[in-house]
Order: sequence, then C-alpha cells, then structure tokens
Amino acid sequence: MADTILSVRDLSTRFFTEEGQVNAVENVSFDVEDGEIFGIVGESGSGKSVTALSVIDLIESPGRVTQGEIWYRNADLAEEFRGSKPEAVDGDLVDIRRLPKGVRRSLRGPSFSMVFQDPMSSFNPSITVGEQIAEAVEVQRRARSNPRSTRSRTQGYGLGSLLVDSLLPSKSYVDDESMDRAVELLDQVGIPDPEDRADEYPHQFSGGMLQRAMIAQALAGEPDILIADEPTTALDVTIQAQILNLLRDLQEQEGMSILMITHDLGVIARMCDRVGVMYAGEVVERGPLADIFENPVHPYTQGLLGSIPDVDDPSGRLEPISGNVPSLLDSEMPDACYFADRCPKAMTDCLTRIPEYELDGRHSVRCVLAEQEYDPADAVDSADATDAADQEVSADD
Amino acid sequence: MTEPLLAVRDLQKYYSEQDSFVDSLLGRDPTSVKAVDGISFEVERGETLGLVGESGCGKSTTGETLLRLREATGGAVTFDGTNVFEMDDDELKAFRRDAQIVFQDPFSSLDPRMTVGDIVAEPLKIHGIPESADGESKREWRRDKVADLLERVGLSANHLDRYPHEFSGGQRQRVGIARALALEPEFIVLDEPVSALDVSVQAQVLNLLDDLQEEFGLTYLFIAHDLSVVRHICDRVAVMYLGNVVELGPTDELFESPKHPYTKALLESVPRPSTAEHGRRVEALSGDVPSPRNPPSGCRFRTRCPQVIPPDDLDIEQETYRAVMDLRDALAVGDVNPDHIWDAADPDRADTEAFIEEARARHIDGELRGEVAGVVDTALGHLAEGEPDRAAETLRERFESPCETQRPAVGDASHPAACHLYEGSDEVTVIGTTAGAAAEADD
Repeated sequence: MADTILSVRDLSTRFFTEEGQVNAVENVSFDVEDGEIFGIVGESGSGKSVTALSVIDLIESPGRVTQGEIWYRNADLAEEFRGSKPEAVDGDLVDIRRLPKGVRRSLRGPSFSMVFQDPMSSFNPSITVGEQIAEAVEVQRRARSNPRSTRSRTQGYGLGSLLVDSLLPSKSYVDDESMDRAVELLDQVGIPDPEDRADEYPHQFSGGMLQRAMIAQALAGEPDILIADEPTTALDVTIQAQILNLLRDLQEQEGMSILMITHDLGVIARMCDRVGVMYAGEVVERGPLADIFENPVHPYTQGLLGSIPDVDDPSGRLEPISGNVPSLLDSEMPDACYFADRCPKAMTDCLTRIPEYELDGRHSVRCVLAEQEYDPADAVDSADATDAADQEVSADD
Repeated sequence: MTEPLLAVRDLQKYYSEQDSFVDSLLGRDPTSVKAVDGISFEVERGETLGLVGESGCGKSTTGETLLRLREATGGAVTFDGTNVFEMDDDELKAFRRDAQIVFQDPFSSLDPRMTVGDIVAEPLKIHGIPESADGESKREWRRDKVADLLERVGLSANHLDRYPHEFSGGQRQRVGIARALALEPEFIVLDEPVSALDVSVQAQVLNLLDDLQEEFGLTYLFIAHDLSVVRHICDRVAVMYLGNVVELGPTDELFESPKHPYTKALLESVPRPSTAEHGRRVEALSGDVPSPRNPPSGCRFRTRCPQVIPPDDLDIEQETYRAVMDLRDALAVGDVNPDHIWDAADPDRADTEAFIEEARARHIDGELRGEVAGVVDTALGHLAEGEPDRAAETLRERFESPCETQRPAVGDASHPAACHLYEGSDEVTVIGTTAGAAAEADD
C-alpha cells in the first residue's frame, strides 16, 4: 500500500442523543491514494459528512467515533511513535486514532484541512477575510516552531482576553508576514486584486468568491489531504464550474489528494477517480469511477443512477427508488440489509447483515448480488417492504 | 393557435429600498432592486413552461407576481382572457381557485400545528366547498375529498390526522401538491418543487407531477435552477438572467441548439453523471452575476459574455476584447488599486512605462497590437496618475460595444433569443462583419 495516503478501516461513529443512539457511520472502509480525488456520494443523512468529520477528528459531543482505524502515511510520525506506541505504527503508516490528542490536533492544517459547504456561515463576519486566512497561516507557523502548542485566538474568550482586547483594540493575532502569505493564497485561488480584497469583510464577497477564500484558508497549511464537504452545493451552476476547475488545478499544482463529499453524481463524474456510495451510514459500493457508473452492482447505486434526469436525453420515465431514506436510530435499524425494504431485488438472504464482497480487488459491494443471481422465487414479498415503510412513519407517532 | 391560458406582458417587479419616511427626512433617494424587469411570455393550455435561471435572476418573483401574491410594478398578466391585475374581488377569488402554487420548501410551507387533513381541506373551506352535500355533512364530504386527494398524490388516507413533522421531505411535498390540487385548478405554479429533495425522492415527485398533469389536464409553470429536471419535465423553457428572459423555446430545440451565450454557458456548466464527464474542463464564465440594484446597461449579460460584440471598426481578438472590457468594468467600479501596481512595478513611482507593463501583465493575457495597445496604454497612463475614472472613460470611447448601448429584447419567433448576435435589424448587419470573430471564438 505504498501509494495510499489514507486508509480508513471499519470506522463507526455514533451520536448518543436523547431519542437514542444514532448510527451515523457504520463500518466504513475506504482508501485515498496519493494525488487522487476520492468521492463519497450519498443522499442527505447517509453519513457522508460525518465520515469526513470523523477522519479530521471534529466529531463533537454527543457524537463519538466508537471504533475503527484511520491509517495515515507520515514517515516522521511513524518514526516518532515506533518505539512508544508500536500498535499505532505499520511501516510508514500511523493509526491517528491511537495517537495522543495533541498530535491529532497538530495534523489539522499540514495533513488534513477542510472546505465546508456553506461559505457564508463558515467565516466570522466581524473579521476581515484576509485576517482569517492569515490566522490559519499563523497557526501553522507557530505550530512549526512549537509543534505541540497551537493556541489560536479562538481559545481566548475568557475575561482576561476580553480586557486585553478592549484595552488594546489594535492587538492582532497575525503579523505582517502571515498577512502577505494570505494575500498570496488569495491570488492563488483566483481572487482579483487580492491586496484590497484581503481587507474586506465576508459580507462584501459573493458566494463564489467566499468559497475561493475558504479554499485559500484550507491551503494555508499545505495539506496532504483536502476534505471538500459539498464545496459547490450552495453555488450556482456557472460558479460551481469555476470552483471545480480551481480545485482540479490546485490538486495538480500541489499534488495533494482530495476527499470529495457530494450528493451530486455529476460532480463525482467530473472530478473523482474512485467513488464510495453511502447509504444509511454504510459504504454500499466502492470502486473506480467507470465500474460504479457503468457496472453498478448494488441496487441502490443502480437506483440512484436511474433517478437522475439526463440533461442530454429527456426520453423515458425516471425510475425512482420507492420509499424513503430510513431512520438511523439504533433501535429502529433492522437486523437486515438496510436497503432491503426499498430494494426491488430483495431476497430472503437479504434479511441478515450483509458483509462487504470484493469483486475484483478494486470494486467492492455490500450486497448478496455480488455472489448470486437475483432469483424472483426467493424474493421478499414487496408488501413486507411497504409495511416496513409504513411502520417507519407510525413509529414516529 | 388557440388563446394561451396565461399571457405575461412586460411584467416588472421592483423592490424599493430606502423608501421609508425616515429616509425621505434624511434626504436619501429611494433605490430600487429590479428583480423582474420587463419580461413577456405565454403559457399554452396543458403545457409545462419551464422558468430557469440562477439564484437572484427573478424567477420566483415572477411566479409570485403573476399570481398577484406580490403587487407588480408594471405590465400585465392575462389569465383566460382577463387581466389579473385589474380583477375585482369576486374575479380575484375565482382566479385564486383556478391558479395555485406549490412552494419550494416543504418544511416551512406547511403549518406545523395543523393536521395534514386540515391543511389540505383549508382551501376548500375558504372557498365554501361544497356548497351543499347531500346525505352527509360538509365536513364529512371534505374529509372524503381530502382522503381521495392524499391517495392521488401517493399518500395513504390514514395519514389524514398526522402532523407535518411526522412526514419526510418528499411526503410533505406531496401534501403541498395535494393542497394545490384541492380546488381543481387549471394552472399551478411549481416553485422549485423538487430542489429540497434527494434525487431518489425527487424522481418520485417528478413522476407524480407528470401523472397528475395527464390526469387533470393541468398547465404548469415550472420554476427551477436544475437544468436536467427542466429538460425532463418541460415542453418549453424560458431562460432568465438578472430579471430578463434571454431565451425562450421548445425544450429540445433550446437544449440541443441554444442560441444565447448565457444559455450555452449554463448548459456547458452542468456536470453530467457519466464516465465521459471525467476530467471535462468547462470554460467557466468569468465573474459573478452583477447586482440587480445597478444592472449593466444594454444587454444584462454583457459583463460576463464570452461573445460580447466589439465595435465594428475595431480589429481585435475576442479574448483580448473580453479582457479589455473586464479591465474597464473593474476601473469603473474602482476595483483596480494603482498603489498595488506601483508597489510591484516601481516603488518610487517614477517609471510609468514599468507601471503600464505591470498593469498589462496583471489584467490582460496575451499580446496587444497596434491601435488597441495604444489606447490601453493611454488609459493605464491615466491610472498611473491616479485617475481611474479617466482611464475607464478612455477605454469607453474606443471600445464601446453595441451590447451596452442597446438592450436586446426577446422577439416573437418560436425560439427567440435576446442577443444582438441574432437580431435581424440594420445595426446587426453592420455588426455581422465582426460577429464572425465572435463565432470563431465560439468554435
């Protein structure tokens, strides 16, 4: 696995809410290779964003990553922990879940960084865009001089810092050098006249420009892996085209890998080399782009592809998946394939939990159809499926 | 051709800002946001007309204004031969029965404190339906009717007493559709009815809308930003940009041979879910949509148009012309700061040559030749002296495009495009000699 930069194994993330335990991510495994764009696609509530947040260690209470390994290739860290934590090291790979919290934190920026969906709510409205990017640069710079202490100003909201801020209003966290770097980054992401735009506030930027600025901020630490969580969903289609072009250019220039989270199969097709399809917290099918789009095995993947109207060919009726996205409450999750109640090819074999089947090394699928042909004689009565869907609504009563 | 069900003529909707009493005391001039600025189209009986455009182009405002949910600033809407804006109370009430709307957000458009049965029955109550019911009470009649409607839209009659929060997004949108159908309307405005839904559920709702149209002979105005959905469901499509309709035509014709450069760019930008899409690089439109507070003169799209028409006596490459126009627009709004250029070129601020060199490198890719180079350098010279307005003016004098002096309008043909490239008038024959360059750039 020399060319793998990130390898996620059996990752599960749960939220312990008042209504009960929510299994947001369940036994998710995937690899991201050097310099590739790996896509995770799924509908809302399928767990794709939570997967991304789990990788970057940003799950907050009441959520918790409950199991799994996140192997990340970093020779320096492997060397550092080979003696003290041998179980967390495998060659050049380290399992970041087993590393101390301070180390995990120091990976955010130089190893992983994230671009969020909504640029308008991801910036602080009362600080200039340039300063917010410079802050990211500054954090990285201070982290390099003292790797285990990366205090940012966001940690200083106590009475003391309030006093200091009101007595010394001009005190800035960032210095001129970081600010210059921020201007360079804004220039790199294609913001015209970056020197002036750096001094503007987020509300003075358009959505597309602000998304560029957020990408600039994510680049501040020169990350190995950029996690882009629905980076173009809030944008219009012509602006989306600009941002997708930019991401591809940056990926080539910087040689980084991108983990791309989206619900849009068109974006996946344009950008990604390999894809994982998520449903109800699981990766149900995973493989190279061509395998997923041209030979999908899982009925959910097939259904998803059949649901999209084709902009180049209006003929034919859409073939939607019946029913609704299931609840992820642990108490309501069936002890069966989660897709069985909506699946047009559900058989009696589907009424147990389904393991992941390897098809040809690179293409894997969580469906019994990987190993057997669909047999209508063995089909689960479709009325059962309808009942299950009905019960789901009643269960909310 | 029979008379269209709905005809919109020069519809305008401006939102006023700074128009309050305090503003007039302070002597502020009222400003207006031209959300919809003079659009015309017709909707034939039984057809689905798509209204497509990016956010802020005025498509939802159009839908709400033509139903008289918002007061129009100008223009006329004729429904079934009667002007909607001049209807008296009785006529308006009848119109409200015949024309309905389904809103975008199924979470906020249903009252959370009413049961689904009450929500769907409410329009019936308001309109006093039924006038008389024999054998059963009016309430029972309505309950039966609502149960029937819910089944028509794919819900179950025993969902009647549930509250909206018990349903998923797709199911709620079905409730919204059942409510719109309750009064047996002829015409429904569908305002982004599927954009809040996941693709698998979106397909269910699109199929449902198709079936209902066939069953009840409905006429739809389908407002959307998703071109794939529009292609799938609409008979004809109107493309909007910044409050104007820029192109209107039968769906297949418009998608297969788009005329307006904006329509072309939109179609080009859509990511296709197929392997052929992988690595496709879209020639993205430059810049952002301008503010509707102060829309560009002439053609609204000219500030981003890759085929903007140069003056006919000017020999210039399309790409260079686009770059010069972008520079001019930036100068006009004060987006070019000469200080930064000086800092990079010559901190002592003496060497104007170096300044011009640096500014050209920043703003214009490629070589400038002959007259064009001369004018651009003169303008940049003004910028070096700290006079950006004069620089913009210098560029305007020589580079003014017919696209900014005349506003193109949608004609009456079956597939019109509001673009100077397609005008049959005298000016355009003159422009035609240089429009060749634009057509080449397009290839």
